Amino acid sequence: MTDNPPASRAGDVIDFGFRQVPKDAKKPLVRAVFDSVAPRYDLMNDLMSLGIHRAWKRVFITALDPRPRRSLLDLAGGTGDISFGWLAGGGGPAILSDINAAMLSVGRDRALARGFAAGLSFLAADAERLPLPDRSVDTVSMAFGLRNCTDKPAVLAEARRVLKPGGRFLCLEFSRVQVAALVPLYDAWSFQVLPRLGQAIAGDADSYQYLAESIRMFPDQETLAAMMRDAGLSQVRVRNLSGGIAAIHSGWRL
Amino acid sequence: MSDTDNPVPVDPRLLEILVCPLTKTPLTYDRARNELVSRAAGLAYPIRDGIPIMLPEEARPLDED
Repeated sequence: MTDNPPASRAGDVIDFGFRQVPKDAKKPLVRAVFDSVAPRYDLMNDLMSLGIHRAWKRVFITALDPRPRRSLLDLAGGTGDISFGWLAGGGGPAILSDINAAMLSVGRDRALARGFAAGLSFLAADAERLPLPDRSVDTVSMAFGLRNCTDKPAVLAEARRVLKPGGRFLCLEFSRVQVAALVPLYDAWSFQVLPRLGQAIAGDADSYQYLAESIRMFPDQETLAAMMRDAGLSQVRVRNLSGGIAAIHSGWRL
Repeated sequence: MSDTDNPVPVDPRLLEILVCPLTKTPLTYDRARNELVSRAAGLAYPIRDGIPIMLPEEARPLDED
């Protein structure tokens, strides 16, 4: 294949929102964004999505199909919504993993407040280089995390590696709107309202500008499905949520 | 959360399964320093507030001893 995506030149730069930055620079930049937004992340998510992210996460947790004898690795688990939903739904032991310790601290405080301490482990790890053995977990989830990773194929390969055969990877992420009538409204919301909300609530317009831009740079439904197949995941399925504003991708390690 | 100086104990379930993120080889737990040591990578991963920080960029290079 010779057709490189226009955004990447010679592989040494990568998208950070709409900007191109050196590959090495993305991780610290993303970290700075989440260090900045961590204390108000949950509140901001509610405001940004008008609460819809809660409905998406509920659908995602149902799709994870929690069972007592299954384990979960919750990548980019941040402040814990997915792990908590898994445990509340009767799932087995969960590992809440995030690259950002500030997000994990918020997650742990929330876990203690909700009585989810049992069955939940906390781990600071880079999804591109997981500190878990091959074939060690039943389900790997990643909700609103893959977008922020530098090397997405590496994340997908690692997810597959740590899955037991018969295990499943599920990704909840912003995607490409499939309903034309929604597009102008969605654009106005993302680029006019969102950064101002970020400024007003978290005192940080730049971080929310990045979040809005990163959503647009993320691979669309079919591209991500193809990346998952390339990583060795089977029977990849896509389910659109809210007209494709978000989507759930799933695939099995067989 | 707690007023004591006792470090939060690291999760025993994680201690059992974690491997080095670089070499995927087993780790040893250095209780005194509260670190997870990867001889293969020459790195010691810190445990902060009971949470293993399995990030090579935050790990301490092992002294040559």
